[in-house]
Amino acid sequence: MSDKTEVNLTGVKQSKGVWLVKVPKYLSHQWDKATEKGEVGTLTIGKKQGKTEVHFSLNEELTALGALGEKDASLQVPRDHPFTMNTVGGQTMAVFSHSEAGEISLEGMVVHRAECRPVVNDNYMKLKKLQIQETTKPQRLSQQLEKAITTVFKPVANHDFNVEYEKKKKSDGKMVRAERQVVLDMLFSAFEKHQYYNIKDLVDITKQPVTYLKEIMREIGTYNSKGAHKSTWELKPEYRHYQSAEEEEEMQTA
Amino acid sequence: MTSLGGSSSSTTEYTVRVPKNTSKKYNIMAFNSGDRVNCSTWTQARMERDMSARRIYGEEETQEGAAGSEFGKKQREEARRKKFGIVTREFKVEDQPWILKVNGKAGKRFKGQKKGGVTENASYYIFTQCPDGAFEAFPVNGWYNFTPLAKHRTLTAEEAEEEWGRRNKVVNHFSIMLQRRFREQERGEDEDDEGEKSGKKKKKKGGRGGDLRIHDLEDDLEMSSDDSDSSMGEDGESKTKAKKDTGKGKGKKKKKKSNEHEALEDSDDGDYEGLEVDYMSDESSSDEEPEKGKSTKGGEEHPKGIDEASESEEESEEEKQNEEEAKEEEEEEEGKKTPVQVEKKKKKDSSGESESSDDSDIEGETASALFMKKRTPPKRGGGRGSAGSSRTGSRPGTPSIDSASTSNTLRAAASKLEQGKRQTQGPSTDSPAAKRLKMEPSSQSPVPSGKTTPQPPSGKSTPSSSDVQLTEEAVRRYLIRKPMTTKDLLKKFQTKRTGLSSEQTVNVLAQILKRLNPERKNVNDKMHFYLTE
Repeated sequence: MSDKTEVNLTGVKQSKGVWLVKVPKYLSHQWDKATEKGEVGTLTIGKKQGKTEVHFSLNEELTALGALGEKDASLQVPRDHPFTMNTVGGQTMAVFSHSEAGEISLEGMVVHRAECRPVVNDNYMKLKKLQIQETTKPQRLSQQLEKAITTVFKPVANHDFNVEYEKKKKSDGKMVRAERQVVLDMLFSAFEKHQYYNIKDLVDITKQPVTYLKEIMREIGTYNSKGAHKSTWELKPEYRHYQSAEEEEEMQTA
Repeated sequence: MTSLGGSSSSTTEYTVRVPKNTSKKYNIMAFNSGDRVNCSTWTQARMERDMSARRIYGEEETQEGAAGSEFGKKQREEARRKKFGIVTREFKVEDQPWILKVNGKAGKRFKGQKKGGVTENASYYIFTQCPDGAFEAFPVNGWYNFTPLAKHRTLTAEEAEEEWGRRNKVVNHFSIMLQRRFREQERGEDEDDEGEKSGKKKKKKGGRGGDLRIHDLEDDLEMSSDDSDSSMGEDGESKTKAKKDTGKGKGKKKKKKSNEHEALEDSDDGDYEGLEVDYMSDESSSDEEPEKGKSTKGGEEHPKGIDEASESEEESEEEKQNEEEAKEEEEEEEGKKTPVQVEKKKKKDSSGESESSDDSDIEGETASALFMKKRTPPKRGGGRGSAGSSRTGSRPGTPSIDSASTSNTLRAAASKLEQGKRQTQGPSTDSPAAKRLKMEPSSQSPVPSGKTTPQPPSGKSTPSSSDVQLTEEAVRRYLIRKPMTTKDLLKKFQTKRTGLSSEQTVNVLAQILKRLNPERKNVNDKMHFYLTE
């Protein structure tokens, strides 16, 4: 259980009212391109014959669709966006923020919901068309080839990988039987790390021929043919001291 | 900030800023309107992530190294998972729900689950007004729906199902949770030695309480209660099984004993729900006594099978018979009928002949139960000009009602066939409704049997145009092969195929059966006939 974070309730105490505004994706993209200062546009709130009208106007420099700095005359993001205001309608919505430091604070209550809509004109339609074209493009493309591929899967006398393997084997040579004591030391140190080992892994660790290794293992360990650790070797109980790492005791009978 | 003066409108402009510093992530905390949450009343609140899902995702790690571990196990497990295509979803802290505790220990608790798909197609921004008048817009990172958590104890799914099964029997709902609390106490106390003793006591109390509760509502109810008892017992089985059994076993034993005596059928939950009860009427246009007998049946279909009718009528037959006879006019048929009746009763043959009492009984019942009272269709009288007029009159003319209700074509066709084949049989033209196959009370039945005894046999053999003939041989064959009820036999000789009307089929079949005198046995509460040869 992590510690509970005290929620900073100052926002609510002051009854700060905020607006929850739904903004189209392209507009939020443009806002991301804003400068450091962060100014993106102007909000005009007016009262016309008793009705409140809210209108957002995007800044000039942010209307370009392309990357910042470019002036793409062909397609521009619309500038005028009237807001449609809705009431919250009984649902209680609050805004809380949490920082990277883990502080949580309640910023305020939502008093109005709004939707930012663009003014529909030809420019906007073109923009939308472009968007749709982008999204309808399939992610995967099937392409027909003119010629059959002949560069891979050629018949080979011997594969590269195989050749390398054989060379390695030759150079390393057969595994030589080391001294019994040496091998035992190796085994015991290995079994200190883990309890169960596959014979292949042991061969890998000790670099001993399998028969020799098996002989030694039969002396000091047992083979699990069934159970959770199937087909693995483990040390005999008298050799096991898994609570304490005492090598001398393990080696006593060796 | 500029303010423009307009004539009828006043507008003010504000700059909108989208701050670039993103140290704080804004989220929406949405409550359900029904919960009536007022954030301003909160004095203190704590919130944290609900990490209970972590243990589901993160698998139990076996001891790394030394005892119990295998060399290369991790890699092998991973390879195995990849091979089988098992994709394990990662545990993302960001997506975990929030737990909000308001006003300390005694206050409310909420769980906030993240709502998906919020930022996919449109972005939400929070517009707040700064002291300098400009608006600041913050993007919403996530939307969490907060729902209140129940502080009272609830039943688990298994317990809830159990209780649902007993919903019709349990009246005292408070005891449900009381029981559960006792159970939990026992489980907890079981661990201490001392606790055990008190647990016993408590359990007995609970058991007695449970016994009381059970006995409250059940006098002689079915065994389903036993099942629920035992399941309740199993509920606390974890450690207290033996003890529980002693407590509840009493109840169970009692139950079982009572049930042994009764030998009632086990009824499942919900058996009684859709039960329709036929309305019992003591009045009738005619034949009151038979109706009484009938009314006890309730809920049965009105066209009874011959066997059902005869069996049911068994008891009432005698008394009814007398009454009927008293009502009946004297006729040849009557004379013949009574011995026939007696015979039939003894033999338990079913047939249309079996009785006017039967017939009228059924007719009476159906008449009263289904049709309007006192329908005396003229057709009926006209149709059966022969004797038994009072009887025919007494029967509220169900056949004619039937004929009215059945399709004319069927009747016409049947009557044509009959007329063509059985001209000697007299005015037996009416074909009853398709429904009223079996127990067609017709004055015809006595008529042919009374007047011309050889008729039924001839009636059987003459209409032999169709595939299936209603002959003695056929019936014999069927009965030898396997035991059948009268219903089954009738099904074999369908009216359309034999060319006989259903009344006639019934009569003829009855005659055949009388002659064959098959053996009877009761299978599934139904009387089956069979022959052994």
